[in-house]
Amino acid sequence: MKVSMFVTCLSDAVFPRVGEAMVRLLARYGVKLDFPPSQTCCGQPAYNSGYWEEARTSGKTLLQAFEDSDFVISPSGSCTHMIHNYPKLFENDPVWLPRAKALQEKSYEFAQFFVQVLGVTDVGAVFPHKVTYHPSCHGSRLLGVKDEPIALMEQVKGLELVPLPFAEDCCGFGGTFAVKMADISGAMVTEKVDHIKETEAEVLVGLDMACLMNIGGNLRHRGEKVRVMHLAELLEEGVKLA
Amino acid sequence: MSGGAATGTKPATVKARADLALNDEFLRKAVKYTTEKLRSGKKTAMEQHGNWEEWRERGRQIRLHTIAHLDYYLNLFANNARANGVHVHFAESDADAVRISLEIARRVEAKSVVKSKSMVTEELHLNHALDSIGVEAIETDLGEYIIQLAGETPSHIIIPAIHKNRYQVADLLSEQAGEKLAPDTKILAGFVRKKLREKFLEADIGMTGCNFAIAETGSMVLFENEGNARMVTTVPRTQITLMGMERIIPSWADLEVMATLLPRSATGQKLTVYMSGITGPRREADGDGPEEMHIVIVDNGRSLQLGDPEFQELLNCIRCGACLNVCPVYRHIGGHAYGGTYSGPIGAVLTPALKKNVAEWDDIANASSLCGACSEACPVKIPLHDMLVYLRRRKVEAGRGNAVETAGMKGFAAVMGKAGRYKAALKLGRIGQKLVVRDGGIKAKLGPLKGWNTYRIAPSIAKETFRERWTTLDQEIRAGLAEMAPDMKARMEQKLKERGTKGKEGGHGHGG
Amino acid sequence: MGDNFGNGSDTHADRGMSGEGGVASAQASASHREWLAEMDAQSHAAQESFMNGIAAKLRRARVTEAPKHPYRGAPDFWHAFEWTLEERIERFTANFEAVGGHVVRVPDLAAARVFIAEKAAEMSAKYVIRQNEPELDRLGLEDALPPGSQVTVWNAEADMDGKARAAEADFGVVMADYAAAYTGSITVLSSADKGRSVSLLPTALMAILPVDRLKTRLGEIMADFDRAGQGNLPAGIHFISGPSRSADIENDLTIGVHGPGIVYVLVVG
Repeated sequence: MKVSMFVTCLSDAVFPRVGEAMVRLLARYGVKLDFPPSQTCCGQPAYNSGYWEEARTSGKTLLQAFEDSDFVISPSGSCTHMIHNYPKLFENDPVWLPRAKALQEKSYEFAQFFVQVLGVTDVGAVFPHKVTYHPSCHGSRLLGVKDEPIALMEQVKGLELVPLPFAEDCCGFGGTFAVKMADISGAMVTEKVDHIKETEAEVLVGLDMACLMNIGGNLRHRGEKVRVMHLAELLEEGVKLA
Repeated sequence: MSGGAATGTKPATVKARADLALNDEFLRKAVKYTTEKLRSGKKTAMEQHGNWEEWRERGRQIRLHTIAHLDYYLNLFANNARANGVHVHFAESDADAVRISLEIARRVEAKSVVKSKSMVTEELHLNHALDSIGVEAIETDLGEYIIQLAGETPSHIIIPAIHKNRYQVADLLSEQAGEKLAPDTKILAGFVRKKLREKFLEADIGMTGCNFAIAETGSMVLFENEGNARMVTTVPRTQITLMGMERIIPSWADLEVMATLLPRSATGQKLTVYMSGITGPRREADGDGPEEMHIVIVDNGRSLQLGDPEFQELLNCIRCGACLNVCPVYRHIGGHAYGGTYSGPIGAVLTPALKKNVAEWDDIANASSLCGACSEACPVKIPLHDMLVYLRRRKVEAGRGNAVETAGMKGFAAVMGKAGRYKAALKLGRIGQKLVVRDGGIKAKLGPLKGWNTYRIAPSIAKETFRERWTTLDQEIRAGLAEMAPDMKARMEQKLKERGTKGKEGGHGHGG
Repeated sequence: MGDNFGNGSDTHADRGMSGEGGVASAQASASHREWLAEMDAQSHAAQESFMNGIAAKLRRARVTEAPKHPYRGAPDFWHAFEWTLEERIERFTANFEAVGGHVVRVPDLAAARVFIAEKAAEMSAKYVIRQNEPELDRLGLEDALPPGSQVTVWNAEADMDGKARAAEADFGVVMADYAAAYTGSITVLSSADKGRSVSLLPTALMAILPVDRLKTRLGEIMADFDRAGQGNLPAGIHFISGPSRSADIENDLTIGVHGPGIVYVLVVG
């Protein structure tokens, strides 16, 4: 079986440790990821802004890169969800449409893969900290990954999971929205960080680096000491601590 | 007293109006408080009722079915309404609807019209039109009455005057009363009750919208809490009802489903205080009810959605406002920033969709982070977040995209089209960022970073990207790779087998 | 309740065109009737064009036969949902009281009479208006109310201005035609003898509900209306689920805005 890594452009360029953590965690279970290097970006920024031709150009690199894969795993709910948009994106293209449908079927978000495919919730991690969780919109609402990250965190020894008030509210990233409607986006992320502060958590964890980058950026701007981690990083660190 | 739309003083772009709203502390607090209250009310009501997803799906199917057979059901409704003694009119455009309404008003020599809440009449700017022929149009819903006095438009579909505080309300009503009224809700509401009583009893025409029209019996249904819709359909001699052409359901049995979804979604109530099914004007021997009843069926762009697979579902909408209550953007900018009759997520889609000419669309569809909370909240499962993307795409396809963004996207495609170019771009970026990176972060508010860095410190490109590190990482992993447990292997193989045999894999949200 | 809620011999088809009404109204004139006829003719033409337009957009021929509607009404599991009588009374009461209404259980009409008379004395209610129904005749309020009170019977006399009487009334007394426990609602149907104004205009509403009319679900009531069909429904079918309310001013709840602010349901039997 060919299990491939869809690293996402954001993790690749800005947060490579997230991708690495995911690779290491899966390796512990004998899942050897390969990395087809022709992949670039899922095309979300272009798709969401209505530039579908450009989105297709970018998306095709994924369709080609994962042509022969059996499973494609990504550390991002929004990028995995973007692949679910590919049948729509390529609906008028008889050549690429079947490949789009095929890729959708074999793509998984990281927590989704661990719990639903591998059947693992306890990775044997130890992480004695107060943690709060932000469920990214695309991953939780649109892709339906709600219970899996909680299941994984509940098994981590010493981890105190504090509920985030109004957790389901968007952090305000929305891709180009954060740039085009900067003040509305700013208001939203400010509110999100206010809620995080209410929890008095030491660590903010999530499944999507876009959100975490957005929230982390505001936390740093406000001089807050909360540590921002992707769930893969938290689990990998926790396993090393065990 | 018939306030019309307060145009002219409002800035022209969504962004500018949003900026105004963001700086209005009271507005933001009020909108936040209201939406939180309504959305927690809905949550409680949903949980108490149970099986919410099944009910949503039912609601969706009933609406889809009705819209897919709209020619049958609308026709049936019109014929049955006529058989009940109603005068039915068809208005293709807003101008037609206004013309018909004014003509009726003239013919019955009306001096005043008492109105219950109707978004359609807002769409038509009907109050303004009545005013222009010397007919006084009086809003009787408490919130609508208040904003009418203020000369403003509603800022929320369900609670139109949330942007006004009690002091502002007291001032407005004191003017009407000719004396100073205390800013106490009971006193203010008491004054309105008395004042509007007089108006109800002397008005010539009662005007309403229509929540649902039941095709099989030719009945129209109104949901309300105050009693003013009952008033305007019981007391005046003539009734005029404005109805969007899509507000049809086949039967009373279907009404039970709508009555289950609508109040819970809007305010968390099990049912609104009054739900009235009106079937024709008064019967000859009845002692009250209108003698003459008109229903004006309004198109005004609704039929444009028919046959369009991306937007036909928009006609499912039952105008509950649940999408407004969960929208984080709406919560921060309020209703007026949307610049049209309808606000919030439904407004962001409806306003452009009702206008065929893309040139008339503004940038409202951009005021969204596409979080999908609206689609999740919608009791009839309209995929609003997808529709916002379709609107953006149509604007780009019509050549009306933002020039800078279009150029940027072309650059994006050029870079992302080939892994080699992408890698080269990263290398360039890493060099360029040396100018602005401090302590691993970027604070500079330059160019495209200005908006971002007003609220954040931006991250920098990593010293070694994932793909640059891959070869080393790969070797390291191979060396210490564990053996996959057989049951895990079996699970994965099972997943492979299931593919192609199952209908759809994973996630939701794609209309099926 | 029978299947025909209408009032018999109205000629609905042409009643709209007879422009009836009182003295000297614009609507009484022949020219008005002519105009209505003209509008109706235009409407028929526009209707055809509307429907054809819809079918054209949906890219198919006009649908003229009733299409199969497999999702009609509530989900299947809902039809099996039913409470016992005691549960219905208990839940109806809880729901109605939760929104500021009042529910009282009385054994019979005599007890209902006593209750209403006591309330009238307590609230200094002088003017009472009631529907013209046999049960309300038997209720005998006329004899029980404090001296100086006046009871008006809806539409009992010619030339009566029912709406004005209702508007000045302290109490409106009606029989509830149905009730639904799940939502805490009563239903009143209009007729020549049952004015819509009686449950709407007075300050307080007294609704007498024979216990056998209390259903579990709204759908049980709706079924009767579907069964009756076009031509057999009254002009006004009103579901009332508590006292009139609004939260339009700063989200602050106010009771009794346009409709009655005080509502009592007397569950009889």
